Parts: sequence; structure tokens; C-alpha cells
Amino acid sequence: MASRVILKKPLELGKILFRNQSTMSAFEIQHKTPLIKKVAAIPVALYGGRHAVTMLPGGGIGPELMGYVREVFKYAGAPVDFEVVEIGDENTDLEYALTSIKRNGVAIKGNIETKSESASVVSRNVAIRNELDLFVNVLHCKSYPGVPARQKDIDIVIIRQNTEGEYAMLEHESVDGVIESMKVVTTSNSDRVARFAFEYAKKNGRKKVTTIHKANIMKLSDGLFLETSKRIAKDYPEIEHNDMIIDNCCMQLVSKPHQFDVMIMTNLYGSIVSNVVCGLIGGAGLLSGKNYGDHYAIFEPGTRNTGTAIAGKNIANPIAMLSASVAMLKHLGHTQHAELIQRAIEKTICEEKIHTPDLGGTAKSTDVVQRIIDNILQADIRPW
Amino acid sequence: MSLIARNLSKVLVQASGTATLRSLHTTLPTLSETGLSERPDTRIKCTLIPGDGVGPELVYSVQEVFKAAGVPVDFESYFFSEVNPTLSAPLDTVADSIAKNRVCLKGILATPDYSHTGELQTLNMKLRNALDLYANVVHVKSLPGVRRRHEGIDCVIIREQTEGEYSALEHESVKGVVECLKIVTAKKSQRIAKFAFDYATKNSRKKVTAVHKANIMKLGDGLFLRSCEEMAKLYPKIEFERMIVDNCTMQMVSKPQQFDVMVTPNLYGNIVDNLASGLVGGAGVVAGASYSANCVVFEPGARHTYSEAVGKNVANPTAMLLCSSKLLRHVNLPVYGDMIRNAVDQVLKDGKVRTKDIGGQSSTQEFTYAVIHNLKLPRT
Repeated sequence: MASRVILKKPLELGKILFRNQSTMSAFEIQHKTPLIKKVAAIPVALYGGRHAVTMLPGGGIGPELMGYVREVFKYAGAPVDFEVVEIGDENTDLEYALTSIKRNGVAIKGNIETKSESASVVSRNVAIRNELDLFVNVLHCKSYPGVPARQKDIDIVIIRQNTEGEYAMLEHESVDGVIESMKVVTTSNSDRVARFAFEYAKKNGRKKVTTIHKANIMKLSDGLFLETSKRIAKDYPEIEHNDMIIDNCCMQLVSKPHQFDVMIMTNLYGSIVSNVVCGLIGGAGLLSGKNYGDHYAIFEPGTRNTGTAIAGKNIANPIAMLSASVAMLKHLGHTQHAELIQRAIEKTICEEKIHTPDLGGTAKSTDVVQRIIDNILQADIRPW
Repeated sequence: MSLIARNLSKVLVQASGTATLRSLHTTLPTLSETGLSERPDTRIKCTLIPGDGVGPELVYSVQEVFKAAGVPVDFESYFFSEVNPTLSAPLDTVADSIAKNRVCLKGILATPDYSHTGELQTLNMKLRNALDLYANVVHVKSLPGVRRRHEGIDCVIIREQTEGEYSALEHESVKGVVECLKIVTAKKSQRIAKFAFDYATKNSRKKVTAVHKANIMKLGDGLFLRSCEEMAKLYPKIEFERMIVDNCTMQMVSKPQQFDVMVTPNLYGNIVDNLASGLVGGAGVVAGASYSANCVVFEPGARHTYSEAVGKNVANPTAMLLCSSKLLRHVNLPVYGDMIRNAVDQVLKDGKVRTKDIGGQSSTQEFTYAVIHNLKLPRT
């Protein structure tokens, strides 16, 4: 993406291959430093205008939603070939998935369940993000007119540091009964996120960037994050920059959300804030999230819920995953197809108001998808 | 002068091609019933290079089938030829058109042994370099009803076609001593290797065979082989094997069923393409395609112009029709693509209408009409 920190070194291909040999467990991958990883360039998987993309259906409603994505892509003629990688309980699957994403560069993903709460088993979602160094998560929260929601016309971009902070997974019991959990903030990662945010704001014509923090309590760690974003802000005088403490931010979000434009924050705050905003505009089933690193990008539903409870009942909202696929098409440069699907989605849920139960409707998931496909077929353009 | 006269008539034939198509009667229902209704703004543009030799006749056959099937593709036709430089469209025009349309259907260009201008690059090579069409994919598959020595061949030959022996770097350093440079680069070798593995992944193939001659050309082919080996590590689910090109050709003629996907440098690919094509029925029945990152040129797999048959109405249009079927699948019109593919298969299976090269007596036109009669709407 725009804010690339180029640290590419002409490494030999063999070295990174060696690094991912199957001797390494996901746990070890996890505990590698969350600092910038150097990667040798692998040729792009783009052949004759068609992209190869890794698809990780994940658990819960993931597989059914991915089925809808493929169905919609078939009718929209999106020039994307999916390489489906199922991740079971084996860690070898995870390594294969990582290799596949490295080859293809881009992935679309459902949420992968990590059932165990034991300390030796790490969340595989986190493992993927850390191993691929996807340092930033972007969630564009935009209200859909016609969807019942608490607040109208929200348009907020949440940019979240994705690989460190509270998610550094460094916890230990130093003395019996005393557990320390480390929150790691680094200058380099804070710098990358802030730069990404300002570049994003500049490119998308946004006016304001707000840094969310808790530097009044965590003066050093959050202080570093805040200082870094203030420093980067000086490079972008045309964009307004302010900061807000996380607790106040949550209150402001539920009472006066329209004051926010682009928000940057550390990992845990991002998780909280994105769920708050999703709740404001209509729930987990609508928004898509984008994870970017220097080399790879992963697209997924915005709030990371597996939805195991509603799996197989044909009531899951397909919009989030379809929006993620639209974001993916845009990222790959297939803007025509992206717009075609986007417009079909908007027509279906804003004008025709065909909603799944989570939005207060009565339609089945398949009804929504069928309507979207019909809208695609009725469109006047047929890009390929 | 006679050369120009012949070309003129050829161009006229091409121009009149679209006009005569209208006289063709077909009783085929249009595809509007299947939901793929036609609107003028949903048509797809495709560059068309008829090529030399029997190319224009075969392309005409494709156009007739497209017309009969109601395929929503518009052709932008260019006369492009090395043997007739006076009438040929400029390279830039053709390359721009392909880059814009992103798909092209191309006949074979004749490549004379002696260059008119003293340039070492042929027009084909110039076009490939202009568009960076680096990967040539030839899918060699036994056809139904065409009896050959071997049955059940199904292999894909992927050939790097922008470097290697085709770099056009030859010089005479001392009188009587000519040096020809074969260029192998890590970047392009990795790129073609990744292409082959990604192709295998996408089409759920099991094995990739790298064809090389690294025992003799230890550095050049060695680099190619090493790049393939490194790339293979990224694809743990696909078997990788290496084979020396001479052994490969022997295996190909004795046990061709063992091959799945093959990845080769330029010249070996050319040889293996032709060898494998010969096994399943010759240059008239094998389809191929050349890929760059953004566009695809569909052309017959074994490159022969068959110029001795020009105007005799005997050439086999199967390869060109299969190319067009692949093209339609590529541009997201799989219904039409499958329709044409099935019709060709049906005609070959029936075995009543066959061109000379696969042991029949029928003409190109008869074959084309047989295909049109076998066009069936897919069951929906």
C-alpha cells in the first residue's frame, strides 16, 4: 500500500523457504518478533488478467459465506481464481495456508476458530496476521441507507495496528499468583500505521485523523503511539489531526459519531471501537475489514466473529463477506467488477430492502444472494 | 507483383467474410432463454490476427460458428504478417489493440528462414516481447474418435517464450564462427515456474515436470532447474520431477500418459509441443494460448501455417475452434465455450465428418457446418 516502508533486501528465495519449514510450530511463528519482516519478492500470481487468490473459509458460517462469494463472482465474471485452503486442527494446514497466501499475495478469509484456551495454543487468526506482517487493519464503517440502525449517515474509517500492542501474546506468571501480560508498542510499527493512515486520508480525500489512545495512564507505551502519530501528522499539514482518550472516544461514538473521520489506534482499542461502530450501523453482518502488510493483503468480514451458532441455518448475513470480496476486487484493480457487485448489494439491501433476520428482515441468506445475482445480471455492463 | 495480388485477394476474402456470414441459415435458438440475453453494450471485443497460410480459412470457420451460436464477441481484425510486410499492420497498432482488448485470437505467422530486413527477431517474437507474452500453454489431449498410437494423453506443456535460445542474439565474431547466445535469467525462470505451479494448482493437477538439459548446460539450464526446484517448495501438494529433454522426448513417444504439467525453457518447449501434438493428431487439433500478466493470445498449439493447402479447403479447423472455446471460457462466457467444445467433440466422436489430416475426406467447410449442426444449448 501507499505507506510502504521499503525494507526489501534481495534475499534468496531459499532462505524464506527454509524459514517456513514444517519444523516450526504456529506457536513459534507467533512468538517471532512483531517487527518488520523481510521477504523476497515472489512473482505476482496474475495471468492473462486473472488473479489467483487464496480463500480460507474458516469455521462457523465461513464456508457458506464463501460459497455465496464464489456464486456471485461466477455471475459477475470477476477474473479471480480461488485456491481454497481448509484449515482444520492441524498446524500443517496453517503453514500451507500461509505459503499459499505468500504465493498469491492476496487472500479472502472467514474467521478461523481456535477453540482451545490453553496457553500453548495460539489464535491462528493472530498467527496469520503476525507471520504475514499485516500491520494494519482498515475498517470502513459506512451506513447503508435503508438498514435500520441507531445512527444514520455514519462514515468512519477505523485504522488499527494489527500485530503488536496487547496482542503481542507475551504473558507469564512471574511469581505464583502474579501474572504479567505485556503490551508492546514499537516506534517502527506505530510509524507505519500512522503513515498509512495519513496516506489513506490523503488519497481518499478525508479531512481529519484522530488518534485514539490511553496515554494518560500508559504514558510510555500509548505515549509513544501518540507521539509518533503527532510527528507524522506534521508531514501532512492539509489533514487535521487530533487525539482522544479511548473511554471518551467510546462515549462520543455512541452519542455524536459524526465528528469522526479517520481514526487510528492500537490493537485492542481497535477491536473495541470497531465493534462499537458496527453495532451502531447495523451489526456484524454488514462490514468488511482489510488487512494490509507491505507485501500481502487479507480481506475478511469486519468484526471477527465465526457465527458458529447460526451456521447451517441459512440466516447468516452474506453482506459482510461480499463487501470483503468487493474490497478485494478493488485492491486487485478490477474496479468495474467491484462496482458491479457493490451496486447490486446496495440495490438489494437499500432499495429492495431484502434483509436477513439480523437486520430485522425475514429473508434467508440465499434469498439475499439470489437477489444480488439477479441485480448483477440486470446490470448494463458485462466486464470480464 | 503476384505476391501483392495474392495478398489483396486474401484481404478481400477476409473482408467479405463477415458479409457472407449473414447468408448462413441457422435454426439455433438464441441464448436469451438461458438468461444471457444480449444487449449491445455487453459485447466483448477481441483482436483477431488471421495469420498466414490456412489461417484466414480457419478464422473464417470460427467466425461462422460464432455467428451461428450467437456469441457476443466482436472481432477487431488485423492483417499481420512477416512474409507480406507491405500489407501488414504495424506492430504497435496490433499490440495496442491486444493490450486494450486483453484477448486475441491468432492464426500462425509464417517465419521465413531469411530475414528481409536483416533483423534477427521474427514478427512473432516481436509481438511476444511487445506484450510480454511469456508463458505458452499447450494442452495436449487425446480427442474422442481420433484413433492414434496412444490413448488417454492429457498433458499441459508450459513454455517460457521470451528468452532462452529465442533471444535473437547471434553474431559472427570471426569469419566462419557464429555465436548464438542463449539467455536464462532467474527472474523469468521463477516467473514461468510459478506460472506452471499456479496453473497446476488452479486446474487441480498432480505433478509438474521440469524439462531441462542441465547436465550439459550446467549454468544456463541449471539456473532454470534451480528456480523450478525452489518454487516447487512453495507447493508441497504438487509433485515435482525433473527430466532431461532427450529422455523426455523418448518418454513422450513411448509412455506419454505419465506426463501431467510440464514446464520447459523456450526451445525444448517448442520441440515437445510439436512432438506431443503429433501424438494426438497433428497441428490441426491442438489448441494453445500465450499469457502475459494482463492479456492472453489464443493460437493453435503447434505452429504450422500449412501453406501448401491454402485455398484447397482441406485444413482442419479443430485447433482454432478449440482455441475460440478456450477464449470464451476466459472472457467469462463459459456457456458458449462449452457449447462449441461439445459440438467439436461430438463431430469428432461421430466420425462421419473428418478432414484429411485425421483420416477423412471432408472439407474445412463441411466440418464447420457439422460443428454448427451439433451446437446444442446447454441444459439449464
